[in-house]
Amino acid sequence: MKKLVLHSTLVLWVCILALAGCSTAESTREATASDQAEARIIKHEFGESTIQGIPKRIVALEYSFVDSLATLGVTPVGIADDNKPDSIIAPIKEKLGEYTSVGSRYEVNFELISSLQPDLIIGDVSRHKEVYAQLNGIAPTLLLKSHGATYQENLSSFPVIAEAVGKKDEAEPLLQAHQANLDKLKASIPQDEQRTVLPAVVNAKGFFAHTSKSYAGSLLESLGLKDAIHSDEAYPQLTLEQLVEYNPDVLFLMKTPGEQTIIDEWSKNPLWGTISAVKNNNVYEVDRGVWSLSRGIISAETIVKEAIGQLYP
Amino acid sequence: MRRPKYLYGVLAAALLTAVMLNLMLGTVSVSFRQIGSIFMGHGDSQLLNILVNYRLPRMLLCLMVGGCLALAGAILQGLIQNPLASPDVIGLSKGAGLAAVMIILLFPGAPVGIIPWAAFIGASIMGAALMFIATRFELKPTSLALSGMALGAMAGAGIQYVTVKHMNDANTALLWLAGSLWGRSWEHVWLLLPWAIIAVPLLFYLSFRLDVLQLGDNAASGLGLSVRHIRIVLLTAAVCLTGISVAVAGTIGFIGLIAPHMARKLTGPIHKHMLPVTALLGAILVTFSDVIGRIVISPREVPVGIVTAIIGAPYFLYLLGKKK
Amino acid sequence: MTATDAVTRRVFASYLFIGLLLAATGFIWSVSLGVTDLRWNDVLQGLLGGKETKEQLVISTIRVPRALVAALAGAALAVAGALMQAMTRNAFASPQIFGINAGASFFVVLFIVFFPGISSSALVFAAFAGAFMGGLLVFILGYSNDHRTPVQLALAGIAVSMLLSAMTEGFIVLYDNQTKNVLFWLAGAVHNGTWKDVHTVIPWSLTGMMIALLLSRSLTILSLGDDIARGLGQNILFIRLAVSCTVIMLAGSAVSIVGPIGFVGLIVPHIVRHWVGVDYRFILPLTAVFGSVLLLYADIVSRFISYPFESPVGIVTTGIGAPYLLYLLLRRRGRL
Repeated sequence: MKKLVLHSTLVLWVCILALAGCSTAESTREATASDQAEARIIKHEFGESTIQGIPKRIVALEYSFVDSLATLGVTPVGIADDNKPDSIIAPIKEKLGEYTSVGSRYEVNFELISSLQPDLIIGDVSRHKEVYAQLNGIAPTLLLKSHGATYQENLSSFPVIAEAVGKKDEAEPLLQAHQANLDKLKASIPQDEQRTVLPAVVNAKGFFAHTSKSYAGSLLESLGLKDAIHSDEAYPQLTLEQLVEYNPDVLFLMKTPGEQTIIDEWSKNPLWGTISAVKNNNVYEVDRGVWSLSRGIISAETIVKEAIGQLYP
Repeated sequence: MRRPKYLYGVLAAALLTAVMLNLMLGTVSVSFRQIGSIFMGHGDSQLLNILVNYRLPRMLLCLMVGGCLALAGAILQGLIQNPLASPDVIGLSKGAGLAAVMIILLFPGAPVGIIPWAAFIGASIMGAALMFIATRFELKPTSLALSGMALGAMAGAGIQYVTVKHMNDANTALLWLAGSLWGRSWEHVWLLLPWAIIAVPLLFYLSFRLDVLQLGDNAASGLGLSVRHIRIVLLTAAVCLTGISVAVAGTIGFIGLIAPHMARKLTGPIHKHMLPVTALLGAILVTFSDVIGRIVISPREVPVGIVTAIIGAPYFLYLLGKKK
Repeated sequence: MTATDAVTRRVFASYLFIGLLLAATGFIWSVSLGVTDLRWNDVLQGLLGGKETKEQLVISTIRVPRALVAALAGAALAVAGALMQAMTRNAFASPQIFGINAGASFFVVLFIVFFPGISSSALVFAAFAGAFMGGLLVFILGYSNDHRTPVQLALAGIAVSMLLSAMTEGFIVLYDNQTKNVLFWLAGAVHNGTWKDVHTVIPWSLTGMMIALLLSRSLTILSLGDDIARGLGQNILFIRLAVSCTVIMLAGSAVSIVGPIGFVGLIVPHIVRHWVGVDYRFILPLTAVFGSVLLLYADIVSRFISYPFESPVGIVTTGIGAPYLLYLLLRRRGRL
């Protein structure tokens, strides 16, 4: 009995392996025979990819790429939105059409991506480089900086995306318009602004500063606002004592609306009142989704508009 | 000696069901008939693609990882002579985890594909440290287990420090630590396959020695076998089996604990009979858990290690209750 | 008996004196070291409750409660460990190894996931429930340990802990937006300790320690074996129940504030027993004092691991405790 089963399992194994062997050979992509357009080579963080023609079905694996695509007027067919449609912020959502969620950004769903038959995939270099080969097997894949990237790094990937989707010519004017928008907003910042700012994520268990090495921090710094911390760490966790020591003049508390945070506790402490931002009534609560999750041209303008609006009413 | 006549038949059927379900179910489901026609060589190329590039390698990895982890657990339980020993309890997985987490979080620029090797090296270092302690201090096996736990705790503290300091990227590391087969491909299958092939004959070679160990040190010496030698061989085998499976799939827990248990219930304690059943059960459990993890919150995934923990919990409590 | 008793008393008194001295020094150190530059005058004023300057406020509202939380949690965890070791007659019993820490953390994370807006004061009770669950397992295990060696029982405890922490990690992975920042707490953290935390933990830990002291004579007898205890007219079931409740009270309240800090409850009672022998009237007070000492100093060290940012205190206690456990195992290898 045992022998029989052993043998049959063995046979099954051999069958499976044989199938695997012969079918991997034929599964090399045949779908690339799209319209005979010119092949463009796009350089990205993880090498080069060849794109045939104008991609029509794009899958974006981070929120920041959705922002860039929306700026370019393209709706991706698939978005890794952690299956939470609300995590895409309103100003971007209104520019998007229908799309399919392809799962979480950490573990994107290959089966779904593959079944969407995309012709371009844009992934994050830190999250998706281990599975680059698999993504590239589905469609030409660009890996760009998104997760943990600063404002400048994020902005530098915009022309790459524009070129990949065949809108190279639109990138420059859009970037200029973006710069103009920021400059207009920046105009309300007085020349002699000396106040230091500190954006921070707050929740029930802690206070996480976003320094100039983070997205929100670097964006505010690019406006000419001073970072209150100056650290090599992008998201250090601070105690109240450290916060008092850094003594920021302006605090932007990024939180999930309605959530209790450590600030409820801290604000009862008389030390809280000694922080310059608190003393001068410059503590602002902002939406964490907009300020730290989204990242991109549309988000940056939303953030700056909100920051300037609150700083210089 | 209880050995139901149809045990292997039932297990084979369960394995086949698990394999078929694993191939069929997912965000995109593939029917039985479609699999058939793909087998025949004429099927939807889209489905073929999904099947061959994602499902098949994953399924094969489930089988191998499950089998190897279960065997590692069985060997450790025999070696330590305690039914609660497992690769996670004696810290091997933690060693692998620390190495992998360091690569993921401290060296984001490390070349692709290095994580499995790092994890294997981490588990091996932990195994070597244990082995050193065991031979140098002539530890009794149970104390060896606790020493492993202490070493594991140190590695665990290291993991905590690194993840806390890189909170923003912590989830990538946590997913790996939870044990996941997401994104694993043929490349990983080829990495694991030679070991799995070696493991089968090895297992029969070892089963006799494991049985001898259960008779006690004197009996073993009486048979002309060096107990110390056997222990080193067994520990090496367990470290390798754990190392390779953890390297590929992350630290999937509880398979090494539960599968040998169930097997012992089904076949009795003779390792010659118990080890094959253990491996089969491990394979079945991981294959099933993977399917469940893939479909419950589709299009997202529950890492397979979390599913095995959730499946493991009730069985574990049942065991605790029975111990009275 | 009386002669050795007198010796033990002297040894006890001297260690108690050393312990209190160390604790006081640790406290002062803990209060005076940190990112804010302080002068001794500020420290003194702050310790006396001064609230005039910023420096004094830092002392009196941040450093002092932080040091108190560390001292209280250290004492509570260590005494809980001593109680468990006496009750189970198991050298390896401790809140961490027997699943109490893991149970409490599991429940805290569970409540954060399913009640995202939950307040930190409500989380304390979640931790109690979890510690209770862990404690229940300890009780079941303690009841069925007739044929088990200490190491085997410890293995069972570790396996339970691992199961609970695997599930905890699972929830963290799946609900990362709500829980990611629990990681720090899970590694053990006293740095956010407030007066409110002190007030939350004080009644539980003081009551727990009082009960423990009241039970100390029975514990000594119980630690000699069930038969002897029964022979001496002890109600074993009642004692076990009382001890279990005390353990939950002590460990649960501590974990809810500072997280599952490991090894304090394991190594402190050990070291203390090594000094003063088997009498729990002596063991318990010393355990409490040296538990405080351990966590106070560990907290100071944790401040400087990646200065100026905080590191979890739990990794320091593990760094000290795990090698000690190894040493213990290797030293006692003949007897296990």
